[in-house]
Amino acid sequence: MTHPKERPDSLSRRNFLLKSAGAAVALSAAGPLLAACGNSTSVPESTGAGGELLGPGGLPLARPDRRVILPRWEEPIASGLQPETGGTFTVFNYPSYLYKKLLTEFGARYGVDVQYTPFDNVNSGLQRLASGAVTPDVMEITPDTLDIGVAGKLIKPLNLDYIPNLQKNIWPQLVDPFYDGESRYTVPYTVYATGIAWRTDEIKEDIAGMKQPWDIFWESQAYNGKVALLSENRETIGMALLRKGNTDINTEDSALVNAAVSDLKELYGICNIKVDDIQYQTVPEGSSWLHQAWSGDMIAGYIYYLPKGTPASALAFWKPPKGKGPIQNDCFSICSTTKKPVLSHLFLNYLIDNGVAYDNFVNFNGYQPPLNEIEPDTLVQKGVVPPNLADSVLTNDDLGPDSLQYCTLTSQGQQIWEDGYSNFLAGGGS
Amino acid sequence: MYRRWLWPALALPGVVWLVLLFIVPFYAVLGVAFGTVDPILFQPVPIWNPLEWNVGWISEVLGRLAPGGIWFDVEVRTLLYVLISLALCLLIGYPVAYYTARHAGRWKGVVLILIILPLWISYMMRMLAWVNLLQQDGWVNDVLTWTHVLSQPRDWLGGSASTVILALVYGYIPYLILPLFAALDRIDRSHLEAARDLGASRWYAFRRVTLPLSKTGILGGAVLITLPMFGDYYTPNIVSGSPKTSMIGNQIDLYFHGGPQPTIGAALTIVLAAFLTILMLYYLRSIHRAQQEVGTVGAL
Repeated sequence: MTHPKERPDSLSRRNFLLKSAGAAVALSAAGPLLAACGNSTSVPESTGAGGELLGPGGLPLARPDRRVILPRWEEPIASGLQPETGGTFTVFNYPSYLYKKLLTEFGARYGVDVQYTPFDNVNSGLQRLASGAVTPDVMEITPDTLDIGVAGKLIKPLNLDYIPNLQKNIWPQLVDPFYDGESRYTVPYTVYATGIAWRTDEIKEDIAGMKQPWDIFWESQAYNGKVALLSENRETIGMALLRKGNTDINTEDSALVNAAVSDLKELYGICNIKVDDIQYQTVPEGSSWLHQAWSGDMIAGYIYYLPKGTPASALAFWKPPKGKGPIQNDCFSICSTTKKPVLSHLFLNYLIDNGVAYDNFVNFNGYQPPLNEIEPDTLVQKGVVPPNLADSVLTNDDLGPDSLQYCTLTSQGQQIWEDGYSNFLAGGGS
Repeated sequence: MYRRWLWPALALPGVVWLVLLFIVPFYAVLGVAFGTVDPILFQPVPIWNPLEWNVGWISEVLGRLAPGGIWFDVEVRTLLYVLISLALCLLIGYPVAYYTARHAGRWKGVVLILIILPLWISYMMRMLAWVNLLQQDGWVNDVLTWTHVLSQPRDWLGGSASTVILALVYGYIPYLILPLFAALDRIDRSHLEAARDLGASRWYAFRRVTLPLSKTGILGGAVLITLPMFGDYYTPNIVSGSPKTSMIGNQIDLYFHGGPQPTIGAALTIVLAAFLTILMLYYLRSIHRAQQEVGTVGAL
C-alpha cells in the first residue's frame, strides 16, 4: 500500500524504466519520420560551368605547373602608414614552431605584448578563426589551405611595400609562387621535402641506393614495430601513389586512392606499421628506426633529441629527386581579425629577415626558411647540419613547374582522401 | 506551500547542470550529425529542426560499421579491448576494494588516498610516463629481465594490443575501485555473521551475500569506466600508434580534425552514444533489481 505522503506522480525507477522504454519505442517509431527527412552525404559541388575543377569558394585550383592569382576580396592597406603600438599582438601557429625569443624581440621593438596561440592543424585553426573563437593578428597557413582562407575572407590581402624582405631575401620561386601569384596573401615561412628518415645503426639496407626507396617500407619485416608513417592523409596515401609511379599526388581518382590505401594496408602484416608525427624525436632517440619524415625533422632531431654518445652519423635522410617526391612550404598571412594591420605586415617582413629567419632555423625549429643566403655546403661547414644530413637542406632549384606539391583539392577530392585514410587507420581487412 | 516547493527546489542545481552540460551539448551534436557542411570552411552547419534532419550521414556510418564495412574491424576491436579491460579491472580491482573495505582497518584512509593519488596527475601525463617506463631499455624491461620473467627485453611500444589493454586498465581502474569500495563498505556485517552462523563457509557467504550486495558497486564502476573507454583514442595513440590497435574513438578524432566531413564524426558519436544508452538502460535495470534483492535480504 502506498503511503499517503508519497506523491502519486513521482518518478519511481520503475516508472523511469517504463518511460525510457516508451521513449525508445517512440524513437524507433520516429524512423519513418526520419526517412522522410533529407538523405545526403555529399559535400559541396566542386566543378565550374565548364567542368573544370574548383576549390573552396569556387576558386581555381593551383598546381606547380598552373599558376593562380587569387582575387583580392578587399583592398590592401595604404602604403606609408605608421605601425600600431601597445596592447597585444597574437601569432596563431602550430605549437613550438616559432622561436619565442624572436617574438619577444619583435614585441620589444614595437611596444606590444606578443602572444602565441597554438592550433592542432591549419584547417582546424581556420575553423576556429571563422567561428570567432580566436582573434589573431597573423597566422601560419599552407598552400593547400590558402583557398579556404581567401574564400572565407579570413586572411587579408598584403601590401608588399611593407615587406621588402620578400624580394630581397627569398628564393625567386617563392617570391611569386604558383599558389599565390603576386604574393597577394602570403609570404613563405619554411620549406621541406617529404622523404625517409632512418637509423643507420639499425637499418641494414642502402635506402638511398634502392631503385625505389619507398619500397623499404614494404621490405621492413625485420624491423617490425619500429617503422612508422606520417599521420597525415595526404602524405601517407601520396607516398603509396609515388611508390607505384603515380606522380599526380593531387589525384581525385578514387580508384587510384583506394589502390594506394590497399597497398598501405599490406604494411600491417609486414611491419605492424605505426603512424605518428613525432619522428623528429623518435628516430634520434631510437624508438623508431624507419620513418616517413620531413626534411627538417632530422635537423631538429640532431639539434635537440640525439642522445649524448650517439653520433650524428646514426641519422640519415633520403630526399626524393625533383619531380619524384613532395616539396612543401608553409606560409604566413595576416588574419582579417587583426586590429594592427600595419604591424602585421611588419611582422611578416620580420619573419623573413635574414638574421631572424636563420636564427629561428638553426636555434629553434630546424625547418629551413627559403632564404637565398642559405647554402647546404655553408651549413655543413658551419656545423649547423652534419654532412650526412646535407640532403635535408633544400635549394631554389628543388621547386619549379616540374616539382610535386600537395595542393588544394576539390571538396569531393578531400572526401576521397579523408575516407581512404580512415580506411587505413581502421586497421582492418588487410 | 513553502515546504511543497523546498524539496524540488533542491534539485534545481542538478537540473541546470544536466541541461547546460549534457542535454544542450548533446542536442548540438545531434544537430551536427543530422546537419550539413559549410561549402567553404567545411565547418558543420547544424540543423536544429528534427523535421529537416538529414539522415544520410547516420546511414553512411551504419554502413561502415556493418559486417564488411571499413569500420567493422575497428568496432569489434574496440568492443574486445573494452570487455577485456573491464574484466581485468574487475579481477584486480575487486580484491583491492574488498581488502580496503574489510581488512585495511585504520589504514583504510591511507589505502584510499594511494588509490586516488594517481588521479592527481593528468591522464595524459601518466600515459606519457609509461611510454618512458616501457621503452626497450626502460625500467619495466629492466625489472622483468633482472627477475628472469623475460629472457630478453620486450618491445612493449611496438604496436601491441596487450599494451593498449594494460594501459586502459591502468588508466581507468581507480574509477572502478572507488564505487566498489563504497558498495562493499556499506554492507552490514551482520548479514555475513548471520550467514556464517547458519553454517555457510567463507566462500559460500561471499558468493551468496557479499557478491550480490556489491553488485551495485560493480555495475556502477563498470559503467563509469566502460563509457569513457569506448570513446578513448589517446591511449592507443600514445602507447601504440599502430592502426591495428586503433579504436573507434580514433575515427571520431580523425573526422573532427578539420576535414570536409565533420558530420561523419558527429554521426559516429551519435551511433556510439545510442549503443552506450542500451548499456546504461541495462545498468539501471540491474540496479533496480539489485536494490530489490537488497531489500529482500534486509527483510530477512
